[in-house]
Amino acid sequence: MITQTAHSTPLVTLVGPPNSGKTTLFNYLSGKHYKTVNYPGSTVDYSVSKMQDKFNINANLLDSPGIISLIPASPDEEVSVHSLYKHPKYGNPDLIIATADSTQLSRHLLLVRQLLESGFRVIVVLTMSDLLNKRNFDVSTKRLSELLNCDVIKLDGRNGTGLDKLLNLIEINLNNSLLSGKPDTTEYKLDNSSPLINMFRESEEIEKEVIFRVASTKNISKADKELQILSNYQIDNTTIKIDRFLLHKYWGIFGFFAIMSITFTSVFWLAQPLMNLVDKTFGFLANFAQASLGDTWYSDLISNGLISGIGSVLVFVPQIIILFLILGLLEDSGYLARGAMLIDKPLSKIGLNGKSFVPMLSGFACAIPAIMAARTISNKRERLLTIFIIPLISCSARLPVYALLIGFLVPNHNQWLGGVILASIYIFGIISSVVISAIINKFSKFILRNNDNSSFILELPSYRMPKLSVVINNTVTNAEQYIKRAGPTILALSIAIWMLSYFPNNNPKIEAKGLSSEQVISLKSSERLAGSYSAQLGKFIQPVMTPLGMDWRVGVSLVSAFAAREVFVSSLAMIFRVTDSSDNLQSSILHSMRNAEIEGTNQKLFTPATILGLIVFFIFALQCISTISISYKESGTWRIPLFQVLIFTGLAYIFTFITVNGLRAIGIN
Amino acid sequence: MRKASDIGFGEKAVISDIDTSHPSSRRIIEIGFTPGQEIELVNKSIFNDPLAFALRGTVIAIRKREADCIIII
Repeated sequence: MITQTAHSTPLVTLVGPPNSGKTTLFNYLSGKHYKTVNYPGSTVDYSVSKMQDKFNINANLLDSPGIISLIPASPDEEVSVHSLYKHPKYGNPDLIIATADSTQLSRHLLLVRQLLESGFRVIVVLTMSDLLNKRNFDVSTKRLSELLNCDVIKLDGRNGTGLDKLLNLIEINLNNSLLSGKPDTTEYKLDNSSPLINMFRESEEIEKEVIFRVASTKNISKADKELQILSNYQIDNTTIKIDRFLLHKYWGIFGFFAIMSITFTSVFWLAQPLMNLVDKTFGFLANFAQASLGDTWYSDLISNGLISGIGSVLVFVPQIIILFLILGLLEDSGYLARGAMLIDKPLSKIGLNGKSFVPMLSGFACAIPAIMAARTISNKRERLLTIFIIPLISCSARLPVYALLIGFLVPNHNQWLGGVILASIYIFGIISSVVISAIINKFSKFILRNNDNSSFILELPSYRMPKLSVVINNTVTNAEQYIKRAGPTILALSIAIWMLSYFPNNNPKIEAKGLSSEQVISLKSSERLAGSYSAQLGKFIQPVMTPLGMDWRVGVSLVSAFAAREVFVSSLAMIFRVTDSSDNLQSSILHSMRNAEIEGTNQKLFTPATILGLIVFFIFALQCISTISISYKESGTWRIPLFQVLIFTGLAYIFTFITVNGLRAIGIN
Repeated sequence: MRKASDIGFGEKAVISDIDTSHPSSRRIIEIGFTPGQEIELVNKSIFNDPLAFALRGTVIAIRKREADCIIII
């Protein structure tokens, strides 16, 4: 066992090309469950973890994005290479574990040999040797170890065979590191590409020496003839055949749109029964709380403030789960790389890259990981442009808002129409992002200020059956993160909005003669709201809201939605005091919305025109503080987030104005 | 002088040289396109760009413009 030295825990860094089994190995060693995804470049940041306790090795483990060479070509690769030479917190690694796919040795040895040349202490872990065995080949770790002059072992990623040997080697190497100190390394540099070509030649020679044919019962006579290394290079024919279809001129486009539309319609349809369940539960709880606590301020806080506030957002968790589930299935099957390839040409016309596809698709879940995923784009201009338009992709936080607004437009039983409207909103969002991308691209000198070599080089991994357990695990983690991230914000804002709309006029005097007790309560709450802090606050917003045909109550909800978009729904629930005799939360919000009138008039506040206007507002407005901060962090300049906020929120206001007043002008109120 | 971008669908060819003046040439070499390697055009995307080449037991998609720097026999 290695004991901890007084000042530092040894650092073991995992290095390997994309799709070489690096993350699987990280999960084995750390006991964590990071996803391994069948898309090159799915890790964009490094993660650090302790080795599992049961291994009895005290070391930090660092996993970083896959690289194919020590000379980075994109920001995600820079993260990896920088972590090797000058990690600000952990320093140089004591030991590097380099993964290499045994069926791809000549390609994957390039990185291993660059690491050795730079002076790192390296253990090579050969993965996928089971695939090699299937083709009646095997690899000699002993010979490879002699040729490379470093430790080499085989590891089966499916069941962990070989892990014991690896742990043993890690321990020996770390002990050596303890005795002789961290290895002296020099940064790997290249003046021209001829050393690269030579290194490839040598790697091919090494590969020929270490890969040998296993004697098999059949084909013995042909065995000698096939002893060329080339026969090892069998490409998965099924994959090529599927690609003939999925990358086809017509079928490919058809398949692409079919897959995308199935994804978004199922978000609406599959989730409906689950949403009803959550909805009914919270509606019941809110009524129960109010009934048992009576007409007091704390009864109002608990039923209207807390239960309705939280419930109105949790209702949408099923939709979010289904969205993550489908995105996970697409990622794990290997389709994403094809999607990227299919739309590279069209995207390059508007200044984006095929590699913008995955970040944009993740944008449907959340803009924050999406903006980080843009690191896989090597061209800076294209990367900044991708970051720029990601907030226009409808993220899952907008789903609750859209679902509520669509619920207002469409009768409850017509889920088909609801799905169509939701799909149209998504498509409208995509079209807007395309148009805006093209425009920003035209002004790229002014906003993006970068112009470097555009390239698209992407490995197309073999298709595989998605591992359902991994996808589900990942979906649950994502949903948890969503609730954890959104939950406290919504809770805090719910209470804040409740207080603003309940005080100071918390006990208004009304003429109660001849009114039923229910009418008294309803009259009281509208009087209370009219004299509340939020009403006073709303007077400032009113001039901005009037041109949009809305009043301060919607304004307050829109302002609170800048903390997180979902808060719009709970804020509406709060302001319109939704708890009524109905046992269903969403239908009570809708009921109150249908009855709401613009203050001082008998004109309805929510009409099809204003609802469509609100939908348009949410498509464009950049109302997410976390997005603004990640956009600053990833672009490295305030210019990008500043333009995003100004342009998107400005467009939101203008287009909402046009929508509401345009619809009214043609007779739709 | 033929380039990898001139290969027909399903055609195989051997790389003779890489034009190192092309800005993407280093990455093209690093990913495995080296002189002497046999490549096969296995797929094309819509609009015939990017192109998917099989080499060294895997499939790599690159743009036509990048296939221009791969010179074949």
